[in-house]
Parts: sequence; C-alpha cells; structure tokens
Amino acid sequence: MTVTLSASVPTARTRRRSPVNRSRVAAWVAVVVIGLFGLAPIYWLVVTALTPDDRAFSFPPSLIPTEITFEHFARLAENPQLFQYLANSVIVSVITAILSVIVSAYMAYAFSKFRYRGRRSLMHLVLASQLFPQALLLVTLYAVFSATGLLGSYTALILSFTTFTLPLCVWMLKGIFDTVPSTLMEAAAIDGASRWRTLHTIALPLAAPGLIAAGLFAFVRAWNDFVFALTLADPARQTLPPGLVHTYLGEFQTAWPDLMAASFVVSLPVIAAFMFLQRYLVGGLTAGAVKG
Amino acid sequence: MNTLNRRDALRLLGLSTLGVTALAACAPDASGGTPQGDIAAKSFGFTSWSLNEEAQKAAVQAIVDGYAGSNGVKITAASFPYNEYLNQVTLKLRGGQLTGAIQLDVAWLGALAATGRLRDLATPAAKGGYTDVALSSGRTGGKQLGLPWTTGSIGLIANTGLLEKAGVDGMPATVAEFEAALRKVATLDGVIPYAAATKAAQLKDILPWMRTFGSPLLAEDQITVGDDPSVAAVEWYKKLYDAKLIAPDVDRFDARALFAQGKAAFYDDAIIARGVVEIQAPDKSLTAKMVPLSRPVLKAGDSPQALLWGHVIAVVEGEGADAAAEFAAHATSDTATVAAFFEKVKLPPTTTAGLADPKVSGDAFTTEWTEKITKTATANPFWRYAGYAQIETAIAEQVQAVLVGDSSAKEALAKATETAKDLQK
Repeated sequence: MTVTLSASVPTARTRRRSPVNRSRVAAWVAVVVIGLFGLAPIYWLVVTALTPDDRAFSFPPSLIPTEITFEHFARLAENPQLFQYLANSVIVSVITAILSVIVSAYMAYAFSKFRYRGRRSLMHLVLASQLFPQALLLVTLYAVFSATGLLGSYTALILSFTTFTLPLCVWMLKGIFDTVPSTLMEAAAIDGASRWRTLHTIALPLAAPGLIAAGLFAFVRAWNDFVFALTLADPARQTLPPGLVHTYLGEFQTAWPDLMAASFVVSLPVIAAFMFLQRYLVGGLTAGAVKG
Repeated sequence: MNTLNRRDALRLLGLSTLGVTALAACAPDASGGTPQGDIAAKSFGFTSWSLNEEAQKAAVQAIVDGYAGSNGVKITAASFPYNEYLNQVTLKLRGGQLTGAIQLDVAWLGALAATGRLRDLATPAAKGGYTDVALSSGRTGGKQLGLPWTTGSIGLIANTGLLEKAGVDGMPATVAEFEAALRKVATLDGVIPYAAATKAAQLKDILPWMRTFGSPLLAEDQITVGDDPSVAAVEWYKKLYDAKLIAPDVDRFDARALFAQGKAAFYDDAIIARGVVEIQAPDKSLTAKMVPLSRPVLKAGDSPQALLWGHVIAVVEGEGADAAAEFAAHATSDTATVAAFFEKVKLPPTTTAGLADPKVSGDAFTTEWTEKITKTATANPFWRYAGYAQIETAIAEQVQAVLVGDSSAKEALAKATETAKDLQK
C-alpha cells in the first residue's frame, strides 16, 4: 500500500504538471505568433528603409538585407518640409488631445453625477454621432469651415478631430466617473467644498488614468487621420499622413525606402509616448469597464 | 444626487465661449491659404501635384518662378497628392475655393468639365502651335478645356537583351507574332514573358487590346464591351494567363520592378518608364536595352492601338482667369520653357516647335516613342463620363474573374457592361 502510494504520488504530480506545461507552451506559442504578426510589418519597414533603392525592388524580395544603407535616413534631414509636417502633427494632435479631454471630462462628469431631464437622450445622441461614416461628414464640414473662414487652418482640423473623438472619450470617462463613489462628493460637500472644487480636487484626480487614456485616444486619432487633414488644412498646415503621401507617393513611382525611413522616424515620438503612458492607457481603458 | 445650478451652468458656458474664442483666434482670415483670385488680375493660383513630387517639383517651380518674375505677377501655388488630386480639386472647385490654373491628368478633364467652371481655351490653343494629338487630349464635349502640357501614351516596352537571348528576331508586329515571341521568351529561366496587368486595379490595360481585336469600346453612347472582338481579346488574355506567358497579381508597380530586375521581356508603361527603371535597375545598362514598340495589330495594315496619356493645364473661370490662361499658354507652348522642362523631367512637349527643339529631337527614346506609340494613341472613350474610373473598375473586375476561371469571357463582359451602363452619367 505504502509502495503503491509512494509510487502514485509522483505520477499524480507529473500528470498535474503536464497540463500546466502544455498551457505554458501554448501561451508562449500564442505570444510568439501574435508578436510576429505585430512586429513583422515593423521589421519590414526597417529593412526597407535600410535597403538601397536598386535592391528594394528585387524580386523575389529578400527577408534579410544583403546590403545596408543609411542614405534614406540622411535624406530626411535634407527635407525641411517633413519637419514642418511633423510640427503640424504635434500641434494639431496635442491640442486635440487636450481639448478632447477637457470637454469630455466635463460632459462625462455631468452625465455621470447629475440628474436632469433629457440626460439619457443626450447621452445616446452623443453616441449616435459615431454611427455616421466620418467621410460623410467631410463635405458638410468643408462647407461649414469654408463659410466661417476657418478652412485651411489648424482650428478646422482641431475642431473636426475633437468632434470625432468626443463621443468615445465621453463614454469612456463617464464609466470611470461612475466608479467614483458619490459618497466622496457628498463628504466634500459636507466639508464645504463647492461643486466646482469637488470636481477638480476629488473627481478629476481619481479619474486621471482615464483622462490619460482618453487623451491618448484623441491624440492617436488626430495623428493618424489622412482625409480630413488633407482636405481641411491648407498645404502649409498639413500633417504627417498627407505630407508623407504627398512627398513620397507620386504619379509615376513610390519612393518606398524613403517613405519607410520617414515613417520609422516619425513613429518614434508616438512609440515613446505609448511606452511611457501605456500603464495609464490600459488602466484607463479598463477602469470603467466593470462596476463593483 | 447632484444637480446643476444656474451659476455652474453659466460658468461652464463662459468656459466654452472662452475655448471657442481662443480657437477662432488661431484661424486665418477668410481667404485661408487657398487661392482666391485677384481684383487686379495680376495674381492667380496654380494647383499642381507635380509641385510636390521629388522628380518634378524643381522643374515646375522654375517655370512658376520664371513666369512670375518676368511678368510681375503673383502665383499662389497649391498641391495635393496625385492619388487624391481629383477628389480634392473637385471638392474645392465645387466649393468655389479654387481659381486660376490647374494641372490635370487628361483622364480627369471630362469629370471636371461637368462642374461647368472650366474656361474654354480655344483661342490660346489655336495660337499655341500644338500637335493635333496633343490638342485632342485637352478637348472634351467639343470644348478645348485644357492646354496640353505633356502628351504621351501608355504603350509596350521591350527588353531587347532578353529578346535576343530568347532568339526573337525583330519586334513582333502582329498579335500572332507577339504570342510566338512570348513563347520563345518563356523558355528563359525565371523570366515572365509579358508583365501584363492582371490585378484588378490596373486591368484597364486590357482596353487597348480590346481595341486591337476590333472593339470600339463605346459607339455613340452605347458601350460595346461584350461584343465579339472584346470577348476574343479577353479569351486571348486568358490563354496567355493559362500558358504562364503573363503572371498573376501584377500591376504597374510590379511590372516595372520585374522589368527593372531583368525578369520581364515586355510590359506596358508611360514614357516616363525609362527614368523609373533607371532608378530601380541594378543593371545600369538596362535602359539602353529598353525599346518602345507599337502594340501588335490583329492583322497587317491595322492601326496600332495605344492609350493617350498626358497632362493639361486648365483654367477656372473667375477672377485672375485671364492671367492664369496666359500663364498656361506660356508653360505649355513657349519653346524655350518646354524644352528646358523636357531636359529636366523627360516629359515630351506638345507643340511642333517644342518637339523639333534639338534638346527633344536629340533624345532617341522620346522620338521613337512619339513616332511608334503616341502618334496613333487615342483617348479612353469612357473618360467623358464622371464615373469613368468605376466603369474601368467594373470591366477590370470581370476580366479578373475570367482570368481566375470564375466566369466565361462572354458572361463576364456582359455583366461588366450592365454595371457600366448605370455609370454613364
């Protein structure tokens, strides 16, 4: 019996460990596959940027570069227009992010903590605006900005991007404000804090991860937009997406290695921002997801 | 539960007003950055995609600066990427935001003519000394809405090095000879005999072949795609595809890359092919082996088919239109200007004098191209419709269905015609 037991215990342990190992292997396989899926385009972007022009079009393409050049990166420095596009992107994206966060925070707080007639209808109305294809709004916005003299300006871009990001930001932040206990507000009111002070000193600091997530979302939306940036801004105020297309995608040919080098360089600030703020982004996106 | 009192509401309203005012302060004046014309007609806009393209911007800017300097006018330049150009110009033209001169692809003239805002340039066209084929590229609906800036064509280019290696003597003149040449090239290892377009996005390249087989494509306003000659053309294309004489998933960019790598013996391109291939080819002697050839005909005596291609400068009616028209005439017909432009970008001029200039006539590739391909090139008849691109797509998608074996040529083209009929507006 003892023998049987002592023999059976390790066997049971082995059996117990086995599924754990298998799931770990499966998890690693999944991580590697997803990682490859995500990183392969970036790898290809870097490889193309480092490949000489006459090798970039070799057929069949080579996964590992046989010859490397930095001339495409060097050429970037010779094109001041690209830095203008970059500056425009930073101006438009940062202001859009700040404006979206400010407006959506107040809207979300009002939806979450106040009760008034038409609140639900307004909330759904805000969300309903997301149902329209944005390209559909382009012509209307073009006419409106043209009539108001805003066409071609940063303002036109910032207002249109803010308009598109607001619904999601508002709903994201409303979920976060819902998780802030109303008793905290009541306690602040008992201590003599005005509503204004309660919002700024209690609610907003508690919602900070959500505000950062909303800001990042708005920033990325503005950073990546192509059609609105191309149509609503004049050439001097165009942002990177139309700027890169304009510079490298021509009627007759596309300067792929130069385009890839430029794309890589201009992605670095965004990558850095994401790496720095990613914990807030994840926290902010999930904070309002579950009510406890 | 909290309620919003009047003071809070007013505070929020005040903040919102402040925000909007701050944003409005960033705005430019009503003129924005777009050209608005000029009361004294000494100022006008010039919209051109070439103004921002690496290969051409310096040459185009030189024309703009030269004209502005010597005529004391102010030219406000604007530019959009080529692929988005038509949409942007249409939107801005309809919105009244675009005036002055605008560079256009010859294919877009019909679509923009529908806006009714382009000036008839018959008078400067008559004085410019343009060739007949060039003038035809700027004419639509009986009006001369564009002055031709460069006129070329989409035609066949051959790699004589590969043809020699495959034992092909001389250039094929008929479809049968062409097919025989392709079969000979197919014996070479790793070479696609004809890098013809087979991706839907570029399969409009089959239209000149349909014409070669005898289809007019459009008779009056009746689409003839689906007639016996066009069906025969698609069946022939399918035969080449099945015999691996043309390859799947090839568009213009792929074809150029294959040709530049010495892996395709024939492909279709515009005259700028030489410059593009020069950049992409590891073998720097390849451009010397590039030869333009007339598209093979069905039977001896037929006229070789080629698609007209080029750029025109149109002028928007309104303030500054007269000055813009003068600039357009200068940029397209002043012999010294067009010859210098050719020297920099290798785009052929459109006037008899320009073509005769030693800088142009001394270029053998251009002269040969003009003689063998552009001379008989004709416009795509669908360009007269605003929805021409969708018509081409409808045909291309059905031809692709034939190539991959999903449909017969007759059925596919009948279906394409049905779709295209709805787009004839």
